[in-house]
Amino acid sequence: MPEESKRLSGLRDRLQDAILSRVDEAFLNGHPERRLPHNLNISFAYVEGESVLMGLNKEVALASGSACTSSTLEPSYVISALGVNAELAHSSIRFGLHRFSTQEEVDFVAARTVDVVQRLREMSPLYELAKEGVDLKTIKWKAE
Amino acid sequence: MAYSEKVVDHYNNPRNVGSFGKDIPGVGTGLVGAPECGDVMKLQIRVNVETGVIEDAKFKTFGCGSAIASSSLATEWLKGRTVDEAAKIKNTDIVNELKLPPVKIHCSVLAEDAIKAALTDYKEKWAKAEAGTDAGAS
Repeated sequence: MPEESKRLSGLRDRLQDAILSRVDEAFLNGHPERRLPHNLNISFAYVEGESVLMGLNKEVALASGSACTSSTLEPSYVISALGVNAELAHSSIRFGLHRFSTQEEVDFVAARTVDVVQRLREMSPLYELAKEGVDLKTIKWKAE
Repeated sequence: MAYSEKVVDHYNNPRNVGSFGKDIPGVGTGLVGAPECGDVMKLQIRVNVETGVIEDAKFKTFGCGSAIASSSLATEWLKGRTVDEAAKIKNTDIVNELKLPPVKIHCSVLAEDAIKAALTDYKEKWAKAEAGTDAGAS
C-alpha cells in the first residue's frame, strides 16, 4: 500500500503540474498536501464543469460533482464546503487515478483537458469580459 | 447524462460563435443568466435597419452542453428572420428540436430570454430612429 500511494501521488502530481502549468486561472481545490494520493480536483475559471466533461467523455471517465449528485445540476457540495465560491464550484472537475493508471494516460488526459478548456474559453462570454478587463462582480446578472 | 445527437453536434460544431462590436449600427446584445447559477449566454443580432431582417447572429455561452446547443441553435434560427418573427421563437421549439430532457429545459428558457434581450436592446438602440417605418416591418 505505501508504494502504491507513492506511485499514485506521483502520477497525481504529474497530472496537476501538467494542467496548472498550461492553463491560467485554474485552481487546485482542497489542501495541497494533506489529501488522498489518487484524487485531484481543479476548478477552471470561465468554463462550466459539465461542458468540460462533455469534451472529454469519449476518452476519459471523469466527474464534475460527486457520484451521488451526478443526476442534479447542483455544483459539488464537497467543493462548496471547502469554501470555493459558487462560480468556481460550477467549474470544478474531479480526476481520479487508480491501480492501473499509467504515466501515458496521465499525459494524455492533461493534454486533452488543456485543449477542451481552451476551446470552451473561446466561446465563454465570461472569459471574453474578463479579458476586456471587466470585473464580473460588477455586472448585474439577470438570473432566471 | 445522455445527450441527443443534435446537442452533441452543436457542442462539437457550434454555429456562429463570436461577438459583434456593441456599437455597430443594427447590433442588439442580450446577456442573460448568472455565473453562480452555472449558465451565462451572450447572444447578438445584427439587423438591417432598413428592412428589419436579422442578417447575422452570434453567441458565446458559459454553461453545459445543452446551454451551448440551445444558444447555437438560436443563432441559426435567427438569421434571415425579421425582428418580429424572431420574437415568436419559443423555448419549447428549442426543447423539441434538441430533445432536451426535463432537467435541461431551463437552458432553452435562457436561450429564449437571450433572444428577447437582444431584440429589446436592438429596438432601444436602433429602431427609435426608424420609428416611422417600424410598424410596417411585419
